[in-house]
Amino acid sequence: MTATASSRTVDALMAVCGIGKVLGDQQVLADVSFEVASGEILGLIGPNGAGKTTLLECIAGLLAADTGEVRWRSSLLPRARRKESLFYVPEAISPYPDQKTAEVLAFFRQAHRQPPSRLEHLVSALGLEPTLSKPVGALSKGYRRRFLLALGLLAPRPVLLMDEPFDGFDLRQTREVMNLLRSEAVDGRTLVLSIHQLADAQRICDRLVLLSGGLVKGVGTLAELTASARLPIGSNLEEVFLALA
Amino acid sequence: MRSHEPRAPVAPLLRKEMRELVTCNSLWVLMLLLSPLVGYSFIQAVALYAEASRPALSIPELARQFSPFDGILVPTLGGFYLTITLLFPFIAIRLIAAEKASGGLKLLVQLPYRLIDLIAAKFAAVIAAWLIALIPLILALVWWALLGGHLDARETATLMLGHLLYALLIGAISFLAAALAEGGATAAILALAVTLGSWVLDFAALDRGGVSNLLAALSLTSLLRPFEQGLLSFPAVLGMLIATSGFLALAVIWLPPGIPLGRKLKGSALIVAAAAILISGAAQARTVLDVTPDRRNSFPLADEKLLGQLQDRLLVTVHMASSDPRLVDLDRKVLARLKRAMPRVTIRIAEPGQTNPFGTAGDEAYGEIVLSYHGKSATTRSTGAGEILPILYELAGVGLPVPGAPGLDEPGYPLVADASNAAVWFYGVQPLALAVMWWLAAANRRIPWRRS
Repeated sequence: MTATASSRTVDALMAVCGIGKVLGDQQVLADVSFEVASGEILGLIGPNGAGKTTLLECIAGLLAADTGEVRWRSSLLPRARRKESLFYVPEAISPYPDQKTAEVLAFFRQAHRQPPSRLEHLVSALGLEPTLSKPVGALSKGYRRRFLLALGLLAPRPVLLMDEPFDGFDLRQTREVMNLLRSEAVDGRTLVLSIHQLADAQRICDRLVLLSGGLVKGVGTLAELTASARLPIGSNLEEVFLALA
Repeated sequence: MRSHEPRAPVAPLLRKEMRELVTCNSLWVLMLLLSPLVGYSFIQAVALYAEASRPALSIPELARQFSPFDGILVPTLGGFYLTITLLFPFIAIRLIAAEKASGGLKLLVQLPYRLIDLIAAKFAAVIAAWLIALIPLILALVWWALLGGHLDARETATLMLGHLLYALLIGAISFLAAALAEGGATAAILALAVTLGSWVLDFAALDRGGVSNLLAALSLTSLLRPFEQGLLSFPAVLGMLIATSGFLALAVIWLPPGIPLGRKLKGSALIVAAAAILISGAAQARTVLDVTPDRRNSFPLADEKLLGQLQDRLLVTVHMASSDPRLVDLDRKVLARLKRAMPRVTIRIAEPGQTNPFGTAGDEAYGEIVLSYHGKSATTRSTGAGEILPILYELAGVGLPVPGAPGLDEPGYPLVADASNAAVWFYGVQPLALAVMWWLAAANRRIPWRRS
């Protein structure tokens, strides 16, 4: 791992410490560590197969890590209690395909004891109105992605883990969703986003974790990573990633 | 700061599971099959009952033997039992496997519900599915009542309880299979291996004794038998409830992702051990109520009272093969009744080596029943209570009991009726109505004409 100036944040809300995972005979994650502060948008970036999804599932407690732990304000956060603090939105799932979008959204709202106005706000912000009477299984990829984001944002947890939140969006939609996520972060929500589109990551993330082959290649802001890679100021994330990975 | 999110309300979860249930194709397929199966069983049962009833209408002694419980209810439930055994697992499995396959489970386990709430809500949907499946059966019984047939409430309720417990057990086994398996197809194979394996055990026990008999006693089918005889067996009720709870507890352990295998195995071992201890405890519960109006599964009250006072252990050694029909007769009419009436009874089946339907060549003891009580023994070849009980009383040194007042004689309920008209309902109207309901339920998930 390449240590950078901000691999330890000043006021860490959550710390991922030494997560390792072997699947079959492949070391998918090795000693992955980083921290995230309250209200921060942290991007997990890396190519397909870098271990981003596995890492998010290990953090959320949906996959048993072989080594490592998750700490919450310096205290151990056991797997069974992760859902008190974190909510993970997986990529490419189509939950409850036979049920109407409105029914599933209402179920999640009620389960989280959120007011109807919260759901109305999210439906409006994500442009889900045309889908409400349709079964989830009939939604297009883009709408399904927005639907999943709505399910995640309904969860009143301090940290949201989202796997490829912009996948399936065009440029305009990506901007709209980024604005929504930014407003969530401004309200104090911490977002950990797995993103394979480096341009998207550069636009929205406050700090970045560079993951390649299951290893952390760098942690920090773009400026810090650029310095760590000894690249000229103003280099883009793609150049930084190629230099560090 | 953590969210300290309060536990989620159960009602939305239940509603979600019910929606999942009614959009489940397996439920409607089961209903479409149940209707003609139950109908056929019912129509056949009524026809046979009517044919047998004709001579009994003029002979009261013969009429006493006619019980709609044995003649109509149990056979009609035969089709129901078959469908529940073969198709019910698919409904239960779907409630879990679909959520695993779609990725919904990853979201569900993160909601502020306890795992036990998630499984309980799904199990409530299984119970709802069973209640829906009862509709054709209830309609058959209503038809019977309209024909002027008699049904005893206690007998009927006991039999329905047995079938409910049986369905719950099948549902719990299916839940565990779905929790263990990656896909629904594998889960279905696992669940059917257990249910159909039970039948194999039962068949095996017909020809062999010993271990096969022991295993057959654990089969799912054998658990239903007391209820089909009009017996409310507390050991069977408790055993089925404990086994159901055990399978559900195992499903709670194996369903959630992210728990290390070692911890799952450790939890499973604890549950299996606890269930084994509880089931052996339940097996000691001796209470078995004969709920038939004529107490046809029991000795006369005077005999029962006297047998209850015999405190020594009675050892009955039966020299018969397990497949011998005389042993089945002896067990139902004497041995099982003795076990319920006396505080201490041991039954030993001394199986010969090679047997044929007429006994064993060269085995002179074959067919003997040896009663040992209070240090004395007596042998008989009779399998009737009328012969065996006096021998037992003689061994015990007590006189024959004074027969009590009759009073419990049932008049019998022979009925010559024709239910062939029911074919229109069970083979035509009801399946059509179900198909329309299926279509309406599926309307929720039909993909709209135009996609946005």
